[in-house]
Amino acid sequence: MASNALVGIVANPASALDIRRLVADGSAVTTNHKINVLRRVLAGLAGVGVERVLSMTDLGDSSGGIESLSRGPAGARWPKLDFVEHPITQSAVDTTAAVKAMAESEVDAIVVLGGDGTNKVVAAECGDIPLASISTGTNNAFPSSIEPTVVGMATALVATGRVSREDATHRCKAMTVSTGDHCTRGLVDVAIIDDDKPGSGAVWDAANIVELFLCFAETQAIGLSSIGAHVQPVGRNDPFGLHIRIGSPRVVRVRVPLAPGLLSDVDIAEVNQLDAGVAVKSIATSGVVAVDGERSFRIAADDPATVTLSRDGPFAIDVAKTMDIASRSGVLKDLPTINPT
Amino acid sequence: MNQFNRLDSYKEMVRIRQYESRILQEYHADKQPAWDIGAGLIPGEMHLAAGQEPAAVGVCAHLKKGDAITAPHRPHHFALAHGVDMKAMTAEIYGRDSGLCRGKGGHMHLFDPENHFSCSGIIAQGYPVACGQAFAFKRRSTDNVAVAVAGEGAANQGAFHEALNLAALWSLPVIFVIEDNDWAISVPKSHSTATASNADRAAGYGIPGVRVENNDVEAIFEAAGAAVDRARAGEGPSLIEIHTLRLWGHFEGDAQAYRGAELETVDERDPIPRYAKSLVDLGELTEDQIVTIAAAADAEVDAAIQFAVSSPEPKPQDALLHVFA
Ligand SMILES: Cc1ncc(C[n+]2csc(CCOP(=O)(O)OP(=O)(O)O)c2C)c(N)n1
Repeated sequence: MASNALVGIVANPASALDIRRLVADGSAVTTNHKINVLRRVLAGLAGVGVERVLSMTDLGDSSGGIESLSRGPAGARWPKLDFVEHPITQSAVDTTAAVKAMAESEVDAIVVLGGDGTNKVVAAECGDIPLASISTGTNNAFPSSIEPTVVGMATALVATGRVSREDATHRCKAMTVSTGDHCTRGLVDVAIIDDDKPGSGAVWDAANIVELFLCFAETQAIGLSSIGAHVQPVGRNDPFGLHIRIGSPRVVRVRVPLAPGLLSDVDIAEVNQLDAGVAVKSIATSGVVAVDGERSFRIAADDPATVTLSRDGPFAIDVAKTMDIASRSGVLKDLPTINPT
Repeated sequence: MNQFNRLDSYKEMVRIRQYESRILQEYHADKQPAWDIGAGLIPGEMHLAAGQEPAAVGVCAHLKKGDAITAPHRPHHFALAHGVDMKAMTAEIYGRDSGLCRGKGGHMHLFDPENHFSCSGIIAQGYPVACGQAFAFKRRSTDNVAVAVAGEGAANQGAFHEALNLAALWSLPVIFVIEDNDWAISVPKSHSTATASNADRAAGYGIPGVRVENNDVEAIFEAAGAAVDRARAGEGPSLIEIHTLRLWGHFEGDAQAYRGAELETVDERDPIPRYAKSLVDLGELTEDQIVTIAAAADAEVDAAIQFAVSSPEPKPQDALLHVFA
């Protein structure tokens, strides 16, 4: 089978370190834990025949840890690891640079470690390269929390062509949000926060949320999308999303998990279906726009945020489905002996 | 949590910056020969905190009378933000009898019992001390907190780990603050620290650890407020690692050859002009105010330096007074 498969790896070294460890029960996802997740992914990839991996680079954090481990005994069991060269800024710019380089190297799939915010940054650059996203963030609606070893295996099945991309992936929705000079795309939620500066970034105070746009809203998720899920669940494959106004006069009050261990009451004033391809202006004319849970920029004067849902987001690998198809079609049987370089 | 006041925070950062800038000038003004750190009006080593003002201002905005701070060898920003008298601390830096320690401590040993402020040249040494202070607060059933400040290099000292362990074990009201300015003298963090963020290390002691990026006073304020609230409420210690910026050398006279290309962009990363710009954009600060705020700070610094240089030096016969070791 196509053993020249090349898989990219993006591991956000900064995920799961924000204020939600203080104001909620967000747990630590330490660098060493992220390295451990990477080890499991690499083992899974190697086990199903991926021989080459291209990883992002960081300042000796998770990718740096893997780099030094790859020179030891573990490296002999892993695919050959190369690292994208890009200037390290310790910001989201590093992820953008890494994914651009991976696209240029024509990787067959990218494994992403992070939360919703990390996936948003990757999705902006990855084009139609399929993503396998593992949750190492705090609030994760987009990535899954499936065992990384199996994510590695499923990614390898897709990258080597053993399971077709068409069967293995689904195309995600996305939202474009623009105001003034800002234009960005989110994968899960866009919220308008009644504040005038981004502050510490993460959204955790329900009292400040005035409006919400959601690509999907699943009842098992935590974070902003849970607000929608508790009034009207919307699946990842439904062709629409939700637009919710929060505050008074309320039509209903929901109690939602806004962050780990943090349940908040939210008053819903209005819920509308958000149709794909229709540009919807925010009702709020001031405030801060949070994209995928991260307070990002202010609404420009005289230019309310405009949000457009689309169905041209990234292709996400459905790990359970991929493994299932592989098993039923027999490709998990009698895998060739691994012999990495 | 306290309300954040943008203009006050900006003024306090400028006050600190003007102070550090003047000390920088005065320190070098008469250092002859330049390599003799004992020469001149300000004797001894000098570690200035320009670029790190957001950390001090964002954290100290939450402190009240009776709260304690232990700072490291780079202490001026936390001293000023915590309310240590500028004149008395300047006199100490100049080695004068009117200084906080009667001129015997110098810039790394500013002790102000009134404000529960202390610092030390022995890195990470303030961590265990803060545990002692917090233990006292807890025993006395006050809601005061202790803040321990150290650099990311210091976080590799045993004292750091011992203090985290004890504070966690006894659920002490301590806020451990790590100022990660990327460098410990000439050693980058990646060459000294086995984990990417010191926030990770908090997990090993079962206490919350967060990292605040961007050297942004508002984000620091928010995180510090949450940690102070927890400590006051009896929920125990927290750790905050603040990614900040060492704008100048490790000490005055450091040529910084080791910093390479990174040095070329430090001015762009200076948090004070950046914050001024964001306040101007918000309509909360005018160009005129930028000038008057700096001038007001300069006047206060002038007066403090005037006070210091016109104060007498300690008398030789007092050399053994107030000395314990
Ligand atoms: C116990 C101890 N060891 C060594 C030193 C020498 N020393 C002074 S400052 C410093 C580096 C401190 O780096 P960091 O903690 O990152 O703080 P920064 O100087 O960057 O503010 C060292 C090693 C010291 N003062 N104390």
